[in-house]
Amino acid sequence: MNLTLTMMRTFMRILSRDRQAIFFSLFFPVIFMSVFGLVGSADDDPIEIGIADNAINSLSADFIESITDRSEFDVVTGSKNDLREQVVSGDLKLLLVIPDNFQDNGTPTNMTVLVDAAQVRELGLIMPVLEQTLVEVERRLRNIEPLFSIQVEDVKARAQNYLSFLVPGLLAFTIMQIAIAGSGYNIVEYRRKGILKRLFVTPVQPKNFIGGLVMARSLFCLVQLSLLLLIAVFLLKVEIAGNILSLYVVIILSTAVFLSIGFSMGSLAKTQQSIMALGNLVTFPQMFLSGIFYPIDILPTLIQPVAKLLPLSFAATGLRDIIVNGESLLGILPSLAGLAVWAAVALVLAIRLFRWKEVAA
Amino acid sequence: MAILSASGLVKRYPKPDAPGAFFAAVNEVSLTIEAGEIFGLLGPNGAGKTTTLEMLEGLTDIDSGQALITGLDVSKEPYKVKQRIGVQLQANEYFDHLNLRELLALFTALYGRNTPPETLLGRVNLVEKANAKPANLSGGQKQRFSIACALVNDPQILFLDEPTTGLDPQAKRNLWDLVRELNTGGMTIVLTTHNMEEAEYLCNRLAIMDHGRIIAEGTPQELILEYAPEPPAVPRHGNLEDVFLHLTGSALRE
Repeated sequence: MNLTLTMMRTFMRILSRDRQAIFFSLFFPVIFMSVFGLVGSADDDPIEIGIADNAINSLSADFIESITDRSEFDVVTGSKNDLREQVVSGDLKLLLVIPDNFQDNGTPTNMTVLVDAAQVRELGLIMPVLEQTLVEVERRLRNIEPLFSIQVEDVKARAQNYLSFLVPGLLAFTIMQIAIAGSGYNIVEYRRKGILKRLFVTPVQPKNFIGGLVMARSLFCLVQLSLLLLIAVFLLKVEIAGNILSLYVVIILSTAVFLSIGFSMGSLAKTQQSIMALGNLVTFPQMFLSGIFYPIDILPTLIQPVAKLLPLSFAATGLRDIIVNGESLLGILPSLAGLAVWAAVALVLAIRLFRWKEVAA
Repeated sequence: MAILSASGLVKRYPKPDAPGAFFAAVNEVSLTIEAGEIFGLLGPNGAGKTTTLEMLEGLTDIDSGQALITGLDVSKEPYKVKQRIGVQLQANEYFDHLNLRELLALFTALYGRNTPPETLLGRVNLVEKANAKPANLSGGQKQRFSIACALVNDPQILFLDEPTTGLDPQAKRNLWDLVRELNTGGMTIVLTTHNMEEAEYLCNRLAIMDHGRIIAEGTPQELILEYAPEPPAVPRHGNLEDVFLHLTGSALRE
């Protein structure tokens, strides 16, 4: 145990001095969080549309006013040709042309919408709003009281935006990156440099070595994750709905899973190149399949059951359920069970693959 | 009194070009080394010197045969043996981000001891480099530092694998002085080398290995007398390099 603590202290010292590694392990998630934090707030910006009024009567003015009142739109009026140019150049999302026969005389009029459909993702959102506005104007003109109305009541106390979806996923992803790099890559490097060999002519035993490295890495991982959490909570205003201790339980369990996977990989790969390839093979598919950047539900139905069983999926889902939905540990039992099974499998694999005499050779 | 005795050591490895077949990297090697000796293991590349050392140090499993160090069986009590030996390996890289003092403190702690790093650095004349990183040392300083690391447990027997390979003449002489000094202090030293001058200058006894076997053994004088080719009518001629080439042939290895 003494030797394990000696190794742990040594690794803590080495890790804390590797500033480059610390920087890059935090750089990627912080950049991602910040970028998506900004994009997320941009989503609430009004959509810029142009209206060319060819009728110029009280009805068209009423209609334009109703549209302008809506917070979804930022309305620019002008001549059809000018506004058309702006749609082509991308300054306006679409152009609504009010025909000169736009009157309240009982005959239906056709309005034209000019749009670069390939550019505008929100078309499906814009059109119903336009139609609804027309219906409202029509009702007002004809003095018809609407038969039905809908009142939206927000029961969620939290803001549900993309950032709060992304942050738990990025935390899980960072745990995976740090842990796999910290065990797998380091072991290959230490073996290649002959450091393992040098250590194993001393009385230190593999369990001391692995134990020390695992404890140092886990502590380090906790510190880095805490930093990320602080940035998310205080700078990006992400709210953590659940219990912070439950959150750390998931973080620690996930670290154990990925450290063990990393150790297994480090024992399989003999060179720096092969550990890089193996590392990418393990981390890349998980990055895209484990619901980090988008929910697993939007993946093809065939892939979903497999994707949900990946270790990173359990980690991301568990963290998200706590951070976003405020679940307790009991509420995320499936994720915890998944992580526990992965931890057991990976740990057995790591111990079976890591034989120090082979590693020393 | 023999501090190290090995009998019939064998190490087999799979043949790289013939799957399923094995060759003996070390083939029935027997050695007896007396306490207080400087013993040299000579041989061309691939002769089995390093493998023999690694079996004695407990780094490589012994396929058959037995090695006793200070009476302890290396295969059966590896961790007791490790407490009594010091090892300097050919590769001498260490953890990044740690300086000499910290590395020595780590190695000392691994043996459960608490010799101050400065004392050890003093023995190899590196006190002023205590705060340097190994990567910033010269070749000779690196070798002296790895000997310091091998001295942390005050070993009874010190193994040095090609300690002067790649050093300039000054650094080489300096290292020889260090080895002699340690030996004068009572430490048994086992080293491998390609340098015949080194073998002749340092070693009390030598064994020459080739193809995994010991092909000659004795004091440098004995070996020269027995094996150096003597042209007629010229009394005692040649040096240890002639002995080496005569025994192992002049063909290039690896």
